[in-house]
Amino acid sequence: MEHEALASEFVFTGDPAAMIAVRDRIMDFVHEHCADEQQEIDIMIAVQEGLANAVLHGSGNDPSKIIRCLVDVTPEAITIVISDSGQGFDTAVATDSTDDGTNLTQHGRGIYLMRSLMDEVSYRRGGSELRLKKLRTG
Amino acid sequence: MHSLDVLRNKGIFAGIDMLRIDIQSAPPVVKLLCSGRIVLGVEAETLRCMATSRPERRVVVDLQQIHAMDAAGLGLLVELHCRAQQRAGLLTVANPSSCVRRLMALTNLESVLHVAGSAGTRIADDDEGERCAMTA
Repeated sequence: MEHEALASEFVFTGDPAAMIAVRDRIMDFVHEHCADEQQEIDIMIAVQEGLANAVLHGSGNDPSKIIRCLVDVTPEAITIVISDSGQGFDTAVATDSTDDGTNLTQHGRGIYLMRSLMDEVSYRRGGSELRLKKLRTG
Repeated sequence: MHSLDVLRNKGIFAGIDMLRIDIQSAPPVVKLLCSGRIVLGVEAETLRCMATSRPERRVVVDLQQIHAMDAAGLGLLVELHCRAQQRAGLLTVANPSSCVRRLMALTNLESVLHVAGSAGTRIADDDEGERCAMTA
């Protein structure tokens, strides 16, 4: 079991009301394979941000749009890939609202939080596919 | 017990009691005691509506029982802080839970928001005033 690679895919629509329930299902799966409490909390926050961006920006809150989330568990890491059908975005211009000058903006903290809490955060397909990776320590 | 199991038992992951706000009003201060989670969606909207509809000029948002928050929740605190400043009021974030405090530190919001422990912001149990609650 410890050396087995496991994966599960979650498919849902760009409906904000459904997002939290999906996040909880994803976290139930993560919980089965994550022994470290702090790691699980970090993953939960990062997944929340990734799903929120996919629903809000990638799908425009459109319930007809499909979002896919693949969770891959290996002995070394937990990797979550969130894909939406949107146009993506220029990841180079993603804002960082933690500097003193921009700290009072109401947006722009999601990507920063993901980068702070996960070991690897990367985008593919022009920004419409998010890859989060957390190395397993437990 | 794994603390996330505790959250599950409380229904945090199951969508039960997503956000509960208990209101203690002692003008000119109102204290909003939040429990559950403040994340994008109905929870953040509920807190926004509740906080912005209060007539009191000093709003204390107690986050001791908040188990999960995201960037939308943090952005909402900033929004309410700015709104209070524009109206010569004050928003105080009281008793942030370890989860909230960690996120505020990561995003450098501890230096922006007015954060206090229980001592400076407490509305005593025997204070006269309105008390009610709502759940999202």
